[in-house]
Amino acid sequence: MKWVVIGAHLKREDVEPIANVIPIGDLFLSAVPIDDDRPLGDRDLLMQVADVRAKLLDRATFVAIRYGFAVRDAAEATSKCGGLTTRWRALIEAHRDEVEMTLKIAAAAPTARPNRHDFSSGAEYMRALHASAHTADVDPSFRDGVERALVPLTTQHRWMHRDRSSMELAMLVRRRDLEKILDAGEKLRKEFAAVPFLLSGPWPLEVFADDHQQ
Amino acid sequence: MADESQEITLLETLDHLLDRGVVIAGEATISIGDVDLLYLGLNIVLANIDAVARSSQK
Amino acid sequence: MIISNEEERLRQSLTFAEPSIPQRISADPEVVENGLAKLVLSIIELVRRLLEKQALRRMDAGNLTDQEVERLGASLMKLEEKMEELKGVFGLTDDDLNLKLGPVRSLE
Repeated sequence: MKWVVIGAHLKREDVEPIANVIPIGDLFLSAVPIDDDRPLGDRDLLMQVADVRAKLLDRATFVAIRYGFAVRDAAEATSKCGGLTTRWRALIEAHRDEVEMTLKIAAAAPTARPNRHDFSSGAEYMRALHASAHTADVDPSFRDGVERALVPLTTQHRWMHRDRSSMELAMLVRRRDLEKILDAGEKLRKEFAAVPFLLSGPWPLEVFADDHQQ
Repeated sequence: MADESQEITLLETLDHLLDRGVVIAGEATISIGDVDLLYLGLNIVLANIDAVARSSQK
Repeated sequence: MIISNEEERLRQSLTFAEPSIPQRISADPEVVENGLAKLVLSIIELVRRLLEKQALRRMDAGNLTDQEVERLGASLMKLEEKMEELKGVFGLTDDDLNLKLGPVRSLE
């Protein structure tokens, strides 16, 4: 028997009875139990965890832990995450009333990938790969539209380039402003009917909880 | 049309589950030199391979 | 909650993480053995792509030394070279390594 960990929460009642609790320090991890030989990539399990995650978010905002982290018991959980609880507590308390929203915009055409045979040094290749990942081909008037209509409704926002064919905006939004964001999203959808974009959420603290996601 | 929306919803939900959130150090950490590159996708793939290997031994 | 436009183009353009889940792999020993080279190479390709993605995120963060950037780039180049060699050895093409993962997504 092992436990697939979902997130880190402030209070026990933020988790129970939706999921099981694994206490670490003064915080509480949410988890679901699975048999030892059940593969983590099981589609049913993924859907189950996604469902539990959504229900937990309805209760209260929490720090999302990337899927795949599984432990045997509280001792193992504490030894692996104990050092992070101070930071997590600060994050949850600061954003208790907020959720994340994500806007993904597909580029009109992906930029060309550099060919490694054209480069003599690793650094040159790395920089070329990096430059090509910053696609400029996202409709600028749409981006302006987003800055005007969505960004003012957020408490924090971060534009990111995940790959050569899209751009992404991560947003922190107060729960009470969620409706307004969705309304603004609908308006954008009508105003820019030909721009492929996706506004999704709410999500727990993901981008804004992880330093490596800068 | 409804099918496509449903599918996008599914893909997006799984994307947030699999590709975001805090990575716990030491879990499937791959490094190149001293630069730590963290990701968890491999854990899922390896777990599946393991399951196949075990069941093919029966 | 999702609001989206042009779902067809979204599916084609956006990179979703879902492809990191392999399809249901057959447990039939004969099928397993035949498919093993392809599976192993597909996984190496997956690793290469994930490593590249993570390297790009570190570049975004902008806190790498010149030496680290060189190391990352050189390693990615080496990985690509190895992949090409291995594909040659097993007679596999890029298409062969495109696992049909999930409902629609393949590796690229």
